[in-house]
Amino acid sequence: MSNNAEHVSPIGRGLLDRRSFMRTTGFSLGGLGLASLLAKDDPAAFSGKHPIRPAIDPDNPYAPRSPHFTVPAKQVLVIYCPGAVSHVDTFDHKPALEKQHGQKPDYIPEVTFEGPPGNVAKSFWEFKPRGQTGKMASDLLPNMAGMVDDFCFFHALHTETAAHPQGENFFNTGFTMEGFPSFGAWVTYALGSENADLPGFVAINDPRGLARSGKNNFGNGFLPASFQGTDFTAKNPPNNLTRPARFDALDDRATIDLLKHLNDRHLEKFPGDANLAARIASYELAGKMQTSVPEVMDVANEPESILREYGTDNGSELKKEYAKNCILARRLVEKGVRVVQLFNGSDPSGGNGITNWDSHANILKTHAMQAEIMDQPTAALIHDLKRRGLLDHTLVVWATEFGRMPFLQGNGTGRDHNPDAFTCFMAGAGVKAGMSYGESDEFGFKAVYNRTSVYDFNATILNLMGLDHERLTYYHNGLERRLTNVHGHVVKEVLA
Amino acid sequence: MTGLASIIWAAEDVPEKHWSFQSVKRSAVPKGAVQPVDAFLNARLKTAGVKSNGPASARDLIRRVAVVLTGLPPTPERVITFERDLAKDPNKAYSALVEELLASNHFGERWAQHWLDVIRWAETNGSEANLYRKMAWVYRDYVIRSFNEDVPYDQFVREQLAGDTMGRGEATGFLVSGPHVPAATVGQIPEAIRQARADRMDEIIQTVASSLLGLTMNCARCHDHKFDPVSIDDYYSMAAIFQDIEFGSRSPEFSKDHPRHLKGKTLMKEIEVQRKVMRAQGPWQEDWGGYRQVHFNAKKVKAVRINFKTPNVAIDELEIFGPDQKLGNLALASKGTKVSGPDKMNARGRSGVWRINDGEYGTMVWRANTPKGSKEKPWALLEFSEPRHVNRVRISSNREYYFETDYLVNKPKLAFSHLVVEGQGVDGQWSTLAGTYYIDTLNKKHPERATALAKIKMLSDRYADQAPRPSFVGRFVKPAVTRVMHRGSPENLKDEVMPAAPELLSGELKMNSKTPGAERRARFAGWATRSDNPLLARVMVNRTWQHVFGRGIVPTGSDFGRAGAKPSHPELLDWLASEFIKPKRANTTAWSVKDMIRLLVHSDAFKRSSQPTAGQQFDEALLWRYPPRRVEAEVIRDGILQASGKLDSNIGGRSYRIHNVKKTYAQWEVVDNHAPHTWRRMIYQERMRRVDDQIFTAFDFPDCGQVRAKRPVSTTPLQALNLMNSPFVVQQSAFIAERAIKEKGQGAPAIKRCFELLLGRQPQASELESCLAVSKSRGLKFVARALINANEFAYIP
Repeated sequence: MSNNAEHVSPIGRGLLDRRSFMRTTGFSLGGLGLASLLAKDDPAAFSGKHPIRPAIDPDNPYAPRSPHFTVPAKQVLVIYCPGAVSHVDTFDHKPALEKQHGQKPDYIPEVTFEGPPGNVAKSFWEFKPRGQTGKMASDLLPNMAGMVDDFCFFHALHTETAAHPQGENFFNTGFTMEGFPSFGAWVTYALGSENADLPGFVAINDPRGLARSGKNNFGNGFLPASFQGTDFTAKNPPNNLTRPARFDALDDRATIDLLKHLNDRHLEKFPGDANLAARIASYELAGKMQTSVPEVMDVANEPESILREYGTDNGSELKKEYAKNCILARRLVEKGVRVVQLFNGSDPSGGNGITNWDSHANILKTHAMQAEIMDQPTAALIHDLKRRGLLDHTLVVWATEFGRMPFLQGNGTGRDHNPDAFTCFMAGAGVKAGMSYGESDEFGFKAVYNRTSVYDFNATILNLMGLDHERLTYYHNGLERRLTNVHGHVVKEVLA
Repeated sequence: MTGLASIIWAAEDVPEKHWSFQSVKRSAVPKGAVQPVDAFLNARLKTAGVKSNGPASARDLIRRVAVVLTGLPPTPERVITFERDLAKDPNKAYSALVEELLASNHFGERWAQHWLDVIRWAETNGSEANLYRKMAWVYRDYVIRSFNEDVPYDQFVREQLAGDTMGRGEATGFLVSGPHVPAATVGQIPEAIRQARADRMDEIIQTVASSLLGLTMNCARCHDHKFDPVSIDDYYSMAAIFQDIEFGSRSPEFSKDHPRHLKGKTLMKEIEVQRKVMRAQGPWQEDWGGYRQVHFNAKKVKAVRINFKTPNVAIDELEIFGPDQKLGNLALASKGTKVSGPDKMNARGRSGVWRINDGEYGTMVWRANTPKGSKEKPWALLEFSEPRHVNRVRISSNREYYFETDYLVNKPKLAFSHLVVEGQGVDGQWSTLAGTYYIDTLNKKHPERATALAKIKMLSDRYADQAPRPSFVGRFVKPAVTRVMHRGSPENLKDEVMPAAPELLSGELKMNSKTPGAERRARFAGWATRSDNPLLARVMVNRTWQHVFGRGIVPTGSDFGRAGAKPSHPELLDWLASEFIKPKRANTTAWSVKDMIRLLVHSDAFKRSSQPTAGQQFDEALLWRYPPRRVEAEVIRDGILQASGKLDSNIGGRSYRIHNVKKTYAQWEVVDNHAPHTWRRMIYQERMRRVDDQIFTAFDFPDCGQVRAKRPVSTTPLQALNLMNSPFVVQQSAFIAERAIKEKGQGAPAIKRCFELLLGRQPQASELESCLAVSKSRGLKFVARALINANEFAYIP
């Protein structure tokens, strides 16, 4: 890709590394070009902080780039749970609900997302103290609960919407509306990748398909397409990766050699044209991916013990598939892929009758079905990363778009959406282990203490990746856009 | 720096003095060039001491101008005749070519694509269900037609803002081009419902301000604009202009001579003939897909009661009409009609029977269920404010889904079956007007009814496709009083604001909260297209320049504010804007886009070679050479189809589908992106928000979520994989090889033909040699496959 002049606003322009600016835009010092007309602009007049613009090599947009400051984390794995996991049934212990169970106290509103609510319900699963820290966690996720000493919980998260697609957009792109770059795209744009043979950002969709916001969760928005998440799973390779049926290796070799010949001749007419060279390079990376992707997807060749540990050999078919995706995630992290986004849940279109964590009816059954899929493989994944030392330089984020209500819906069996309090956790590089930050009220109804917005959460993740969320920007249509819009504070308390 | 420019920049510290808000000033054309565009450009090149390139080769020039104007490379035959003609008389040959391309219907397809990008138009809503917007494509066709007919730009703008008042109803598709979240996904919380409406208004403002004015108005949604003199009051005054617009469908207003209007009239006449047959024996009912219509003999009544014969009903709207068409739906609450029903039967969590005459179609329905053990069935009583002549009842369960969306597995069904319509005469006596059981009996008794009903069905199906039908071009609602939302929150309303354009641009329009919606938009349109609006012409001229030269004089095409980039050639931009508004050249029309393009492509700057200069890098904005650039996804796909000879070049109509028929809450999946039905220009591929077409989306095809002044050009390995391995390319490579062999025979002639078809030139000796080797060992289709992937094929030379 080329870092075109139109992506550079007056705000950022003066701050560009002079050399890379000249190289990518072809501006002359002598000419009366844009550069000289803009020299008088004072970026500080617009915002207090100057943007830091990654200098992107058009030949290799995935080349590794330096963070804004030095941090342990080099990579990030996001485990995203579409549908909204109930915090009061998993990691946010609320004894007050046991006392109020079956009652209808005053704080219950007249109407929530799906309509009029019913009575308070205590957790459907028993909470017990776990690990050295004695952190209370429920029996719904026994394996993950066993690892609480490694986790840093955020219990006072709140979001801006009670609808899933907007919530997913908000969590993954910083905006409820469509069309903004995803978290993974921002990080790849900033940092490139550590692996030259694989895409810098890989999205592993749930075995049942895409989440509700689909591609928007890992799209590039208005960032160059290079930084979009490439999606594949342990089962399905990226589109058009494999050689077409009926073509053999010699056919491909002949096409590629001929293409190279044609492109070389063409390039002679345009010596030093970075865009043409980049396109030639992209065919080389594509060729490497044809080998490297099937290799990394080959989870079946993992040792028996690993397969068993992740649970590819037992439980529901969906769990087995998800377990393979978890192994794939580890293998991608191992290979140095910058961002891996792993989904546990899809759009309500397929599968076992439930498709994600959304549990408006019969939460006892539906959350349990979803937990069966997630628990063992996810715990094994984090454990495996730790054992291999990968957690030292990998940040793990477990997230969902909002929480669920401490009371039931009118139907008496499910919990409605709760945008005002929910729980996510982080683990690994740069983040404190065995910590719980923030509190929801005694019912888990609203976040009250150390309230953390999704902006704050995202600002913190970027900080953990060595990026200043206020300075990682991209000019689009009048604004220096950021993942955190104009909001967000880094939660310093969780930094190790 | 020239005089004007330095004055402009010196004043920069005062936002109101920002260059783009000042009136357009026509400066004198610098001396020394035949063509005014060149005169301005050459003056700057001279100051910079940069020497410009000589002319491009004939082959490069025809390829360049053909792609820029029509999005299609020239045919090999046209390349040859152009080369020949150019040698004889360069000016005549080039003029003839330009005129031919401007007159081609493919011109409108190419330039419509640019316009649709800017306003992020798509055929789905976005969001969770990402539902298909039925017949939204009538707007796409309108845009293509407008560019082809060279509708003056000011008129094009007025039509898109207020086409309903100009017999061009479909043009308002512009206003609802952005994404929106449907009611069902917003949920039941009143705050969320208000927020969603505010979000939809924001999409409208974004579209209008970015595309027409180059203003990022939406920055002022929560507070005064940080960079530009646009206040939060300006934002909400603008919201007041569009307060009568809602995302949805309506039957577009067409002028009397509009082909759709005429077709509809003819079909309705034919339907009336059949209705006469039915009327002879008494009541009957018609199934119009989205709703059912029960007809009976006209009677003057004080009230109508519908007795449902099924225990469960779901009704989004119930309408009553009389013989006088002009009176419209008599059941509407807004006409004073009172509705009542068995409240105890209302489904839990649902609102009451008032839903059926609130004028709102869609998922917000009245749902009533007979309690267990009860014999009573749901009913609805509608009492008119005065006695009315009635002869028709129209009922639906979710008409919105039927008319607004399509390609769903579960087509919305009517959630009721049999019913009886009763009327209360002026004397207070109740009588049966029609009953569906009785209608069934009548149908059995009179066999001739079957033929008439079948004819009605056939005609109504045809009507659905060809007549003015609900299309996703926006619907109208009663404009609410507009108030400033403090920090953008609908829960924090402040002062009332009047409909107006931005104050900075003399936007006071002397309207108030009582001004009807259509008038608000029409007056805003009048304001926007005034010849002294400093932004409208500058923004459009700049866009035109951008699509011709690859980058705008202002590189930030949708932001002419202080955070946007400044013009590289301010005097030229203003001269062009002035020429656009009030042309002084001979034989030119005001606001003519074709005239503007003609002017630009006739410049030496456009006809220059794109060769780089060894060892030197000059500012591309100076246009010392024509800057080569990668073409868009559409040009690659269309070019491949043209080369294989498979391109269906019909203009307009329903989009070709590559996706599945899906459940409401499910993702679209690509089913077939390469079969013969897809061999049309890509502008006719359904534009889906954030759906990957598995080939061309990777080429920076927009996701249509945010306004896009310019597509980025990125290079990714996914592009390479798609263009090497997708079934489309594999299949088309084979077609191209087949065609070449069929037309020229095996061996070298076939290879030469492949070069002509894809690159518009002959192979060099070394190229021919390499290709022959591949053709012999693997087959000619691999030569075609390599050519499709070649840089040369993907670049405007």
